[in-house]
Amino acid sequence: MDPISIGLWTTGGMLVLVLIGMRVAFAAGLAGFVGLFWLRWNGFDYDPAKFGKALTISVKIAGQVPHSKIAAQALSLIPTFILIGYLAYYAKLTTALFEAAKRWIAWVPGGLAVSTVFATAGFAAVSGASVATAAVFARIAIPEMLKIGYNKQFAAGVVAAGGTLASLIPPSAILVIYAIIVEQDVGKLLLAGFIPGAFSALIYAGLIIGIAMIFKNVGPPVSGFTWRERFAVLPPALPIVAVVVIIIFFVYNPFGDAWGTPTEGGAVGAFIVFLMALYRGMRWAQLKDALLETAKLTVMIFSIIWGVLIYVRFLGFADLPGVFSEWITSLDMAPLLILICILLAYAVLGMFMDAIGMLLLTLPVVYPAVMALNGGEYVTAADSAFGMNGTMCAIWFGILVVKMAEFCLITPPIGLNCFVVAGVRDDLTVQDVFKGVTPFFLADGVTIALLVAFPGIVLWLPSLVG
Amino acid sequence: MASSSSVLQDDSWLSRADRALLPVERVFALFSGLAVFSLMFLAAYSVTGRKFFNQPLNGYVDYIEAAMPVIAFMGVSYVQRFGGHIRMDMIIGKMRGRVLWALELLTVALVLVVILALIWGSWAHFDRSFDFTKPLWSRDSSIDIGIPMWPAKLLVPVAFSLLAVRLVLQIIGYGRALVLGLEHPVAVPLILTIEEQAMAEAAHLAEQE
Repeated sequence: MDPISIGLWTTGGMLVLVLIGMRVAFAAGLAGFVGLFWLRWNGFDYDPAKFGKALTISVKIAGQVPHSKIAAQALSLIPTFILIGYLAYYAKLTTALFEAAKRWIAWVPGGLAVSTVFATAGFAAVSGASVATAAVFARIAIPEMLKIGYNKQFAAGVVAAGGTLASLIPPSAILVIYAIIVEQDVGKLLLAGFIPGAFSALIYAGLIIGIAMIFKNVGPPVSGFTWRERFAVLPPALPIVAVVVIIIFFVYNPFGDAWGTPTEGGAVGAFIVFLMALYRGMRWAQLKDALLETAKLTVMIFSIIWGVLIYVRFLGFADLPGVFSEWITSLDMAPLLILICILLAYAVLGMFMDAIGMLLLTLPVVYPAVMALNGGEYVTAADSAFGMNGTMCAIWFGILVVKMAEFCLITPPIGLNCFVVAGVRDDLTVQDVFKGVTPFFLADGVTIALLVAFPGIVLWLPSLVG
Repeated sequence: MASSSSVLQDDSWLSRADRALLPVERVFALFSGLAVFSLMFLAAYSVTGRKFFNQPLNGYVDYIEAAMPVIAFMGVSYVQRFGGHIRMDMIIGKMRGRVLWALELLTVALVLVVILALIWGSWAHFDRSFDFTKPLWSRDSSIDIGIPMWPAKLLVPVAFSLLAVRLVLQIIGYGRALVLGLEHPVAVPLILTIEEQAMAEAAHLAEQE
């Protein structure tokens, strides 16, 4: 049997196992290990005498992947970002943000809803977790909106959609994972997420203002705060600004040399939020809880990473990505059209699968194909299909894919953010939230279309860094 | 779906074994959390030293690389205990009774196969860098300050061995449920519906406030 067939059979087997509920990390690890063994024994013409030898070789190749791939400096960003998110609860940054947003911007039509979007975007700057953001703001923002007569479904939709902003605005764990898998610069990807994230927030805000102006009974403005009251709420929210500025300056300093590495930036950011949490009364029991939760989420993510990397090791031997790339580039379609089809496929897949699992399982094959569509990894902007060089194409595609993945957090049937909002509020059903979130699908559709049509929105900031 | 689940208990030896293993797993996971926490201090220390005292921390990257396996592997069994590892539960979430237990048994048994292979392989990886006759028993060390590599490499087979014990317990648990046709088996994670998951997430946040 040729390596490609072995690759296809093994990959098919893995997908079946994932579909019947095997944990993604282990299904990928198993597929990689079985595939490595199969390739090797196939090479020995299935000679029974060499069974043991083939097994030993494949076990040793698979067995060194977990340690050698995980002991990397760049990966330490993931646990640090997760820790920042958990510590941010105890630093009481959420309430501080919502108060600040309310007093400064709630005077526009749909004021409280717009404030909620900006507060969730701000909280996203200390938390990489969409679901947690939605849960927290369902508690803080929905009651305030209902108090002044907001439509229940609309209020819930705002919170569910606002929660998705966390996966683009740095620190975003999912962008770090993408960077690791496709072997691109983590710092550049984190920078690249900033403008599209803020851009998504602005589109949401514009949509809300539009709705509030057309339907006069939706979202009355809230005004009457004095300047003194406005400035009084700023200090508790300051650590957030500090964290964002630090992470960005550690990657890119417009006034000189960068302050350090993204790893250091993330850790220093965590340290500031930690001090803030201590000041706000965090005790050992809560810290222990935060550490255990961080460990759990970190292990879940890392297990998939090493599992998938064993599979990737095997894929390399079987040359499946190469064959897939050849097939994609040989299609008689415009590269941009193919790219859009790939993004749509992600939208469908994301309706049924967790974002991190989906990206990790598909990227090893899809990413090389997208790069090949653009003209290869080392193509110059002038010769490329999408008008950008290989590195920039990797960044652009990463932001698009992550935006698709977060879009799927609010789509039926399993848009987790919507379930969480409904879970927090007894008076809301999941259907209510899905109804309320519908306008935001459109907003996300517009955002994605604009990011595809104008890659500059994504690429301007990272292109400033050498 | 990142499916979270709950584990039932009773007086059987299986459930007692489950609960006996849990504190070990929790301590391992806490080590992982503490390692993340220490990374944070390490970076703050390193940056302060470099920026303000012109004294960079020697071997900063070496320390991080040594800490990563603690972070990534020590909690692997703790997460498996609660069924926390990410999976798609679209199909398995709809199954009930013996079909469900048979599927769970099959997939957990396959996990044990891959983990046993990885214990072997990661032990071999460790064994290549460990040598009693060398200084610090080490055949290879980190680039900057020469920390021996073998302790970090040893962590992988150790953490996976704990996971293997947990998997054996879960195989027995699902096997028992399959044979006896149980409704609510002990010592295995039971699937929560997406509503229950959302409630659990909400309750957890409420506790923290």
